[in-house]
Amino acid sequence: MLETRNLDKSFGAVHVTRNVSLKLERGERRVILGPNGAGKTTLFNLLVGELTPNSGSVLLAGEDVTALPVAKRARRGLSRSYQKNTLFDGLTVEENLGLAAAIHTGAGTRLWGDSLATPEVREIVAEVAEQVRLMPYLHAKVSEVSYGVRRQFEVGVALATRPLVLLMDEPTSGVGPEMAKGFHDLLNDLPRDLTLLIIEHDMDLAFDVADTITVLNYGEVVFDGLPEEARGSTLLKEIYLGSWEDA
Amino acid sequence: MFQHTALRYTALILLAVGAFTQAVTAGYFGLEILTEILLLAMLVLALDMVAGFGGMVSLCHGALMGVGAYAYAILTTKAGIAPPVALGGAIAITGAAAWVIGAIGARSHGIYFIMATLAFGQMAYSYVFEAPFFGGDDGMGGIPRIDLSLLGIDLNDSRSFALFCLVLLGATYGAAVLILRSGLGRSLTGVMHNEQRMRALGLTVWRVKADVFGLSGMIAGFAGALSAQHVMYISPGLLGWTVSGEALVVVILGGLGTLVGPMIGAAAFVILKHEVSNVTSYWHLVVGVLLIAVVMSRANGIFGWIEARWGARLERRLSDLTRKTDAEEITTDA
Ligand SMILES: Nc1ncnc2c1ncn2[C@@H]1O[C@H](COP(=O)(O)OP(=O)(O)OP(=O)(O)O)[C@@H](O)[C@H]1O
Ligand SMILES: [Mg+2]
Repeated sequence: MLETRNLDKSFGAVHVTRNVSLKLERGERRVILGPNGAGKTTLFNLLVGELTPNSGSVLLAGEDVTALPVAKRARRGLSRSYQKNTLFDGLTVEENLGLAAAIHTGAGTRLWGDSLATPEVREIVAEVAEQVRLMPYLHAKVSEVSYGVRRQFEVGVALATRPLVLLMDEPTSGVGPEMAKGFHDLLNDLPRDLTLLIIEHDMDLAFDVADTITVLNYGEVVFDGLPEEARGSTLLKEIYLGSWEDA
Repeated sequence: MFQHTALRYTALILLAVGAFTQAVTAGYFGLEILTEILLLAMLVLALDMVAGFGGMVSLCHGALMGVGAYAYAILTTKAGIAPPVALGGAIAITGAAAWVIGAIGARSHGIYFIMATLAFGQMAYSYVFEAPFFGGDDGMGGIPRIDLSLLGIDLNDSRSFALFCLVLLGATYGAAVLILRSGLGRSLTGVMHNEQRMRALGLTVWRVKADVFGLSGMIAGFAGALSAQHVMYISPGLLGWTVSGEALVVVILGGLGTLVGPMIGAAAFVILKHEVSNVTSYWHLVVGVLLIAVVMSRANGIFGWIEARWGARLERRLSDLTRKTDAEEITTDA
């Protein structure tokens, strides 16, 4: 469903992504682990097209999308959430989800009629609100809901475009362990055919949802395999005990 | 995202009633001032659409208005096209020009966008100023007004023309609201809040910006074609950047992103200009002081200040009222 071949990215002299090749099958749930600065977010930026790689390619549903701009990749079913909330402040939860859903249905570029009032958009908004458990907050302004809810909501906005592949950049960063656990339950309830790529800091939580695990260190894939294998890996422990603990 | 509130409706009604009363009762000079206000209001409505709801602060809206005026003048006086058709043509030409400016400028932000629009405006200005076809420095005269004699209306009468402009301003306001509430308008507001995110969600951002800028340009062109009919004579000065600058001042003075505010600003600006210039020729100084006061007060213009002070209170009053009537209905039901 989503594949990278020998992706490479440098910022000046800093080599941030080194020869990364990944392959996600349809419906696969893969967690990316790695210490701070390992290049996880950069990899996401390369995948969605916010950054251009120095070399290598990105394939979505078998097609090379390396040259496609961000919006076109998104319309082909690639959606992402951000490590820091990027919501439309001042608007309500419902309006935020509606704006995203309207882009998917095409109502968002039409001159006739209110996009948020179309039945398709309403249906998506209701469904996504259910999926990410935002029902009670629909009419609240983004600025009025708690940080934890906003993290949930960040993923909701990405989901509202009805993607085939959803990339989530540390969806539980900064929320308490309880809420993080709830979040992972929510992820487990998402449709099984949705392909998920999740950056997660917490190993235990990662094992909760992952079918497969990729570990990045200094921009390089140092592990690619099943969670059980990851658990026993000495390499992983080393990284964990090294730069990871202070993260 | 654009919303009508009780206060905005109230302000709109007051504005409409005030303008209508003035149109019916005023003498020649008062009518001229009223028409000037109405046409400026139309221009700042166009500017507020892109600046207040899309973050596209334009310094070429005066020039766009000028393009509309010149297009109308040339189509009627040189091409001999009937005024109503020429009016449509002027709107289309200005809209197309604005769409191109919007498409090219879409990739730049903030001060760079302002500079890009300023450059486009100045290009249009110097071209019209130099080209003999446009009458150069001398401008063009003999511009006809639309003939509504079939309806028994003589637009050469300044009262009829003022009323005509008032009706058209109302229609334009309605169109602006519809645009801002459409999918396109809402997406534009999303872009203003977070362009990167809208792109990541799959929106072709430049198209949305260009489309709304084009629509805004159509309104500016409409105002221009009407203003050419109003004065019946046009000169390149109409395209100069000072007109754009004044329009921006009026939008900020009135309340960016409120639609109603800039219209109030237009009335305040024109009235102030005429009243103060009666007393002293330093009227720009007075406007400057007022603008500084508004900016320093950190309120969103005159109307923003009113909204912050009375908006919530009026809303509460009204919801109290409706609740009371609801309660009465319930008791009568029982
Ligand atoms: N635009 C940029 N210009 C220069 N250096 C960058 C840029 N973006 C990221 N980097 C650098 O690339 C490295 C990887 O950053 P990245 O954000 O991908 O890490 P990460 O794995 O997401 O870390 P974290 O866990 O802290 O989110 C860091 O050293 C960072 O400073
Ligand atoms: Mg990161």
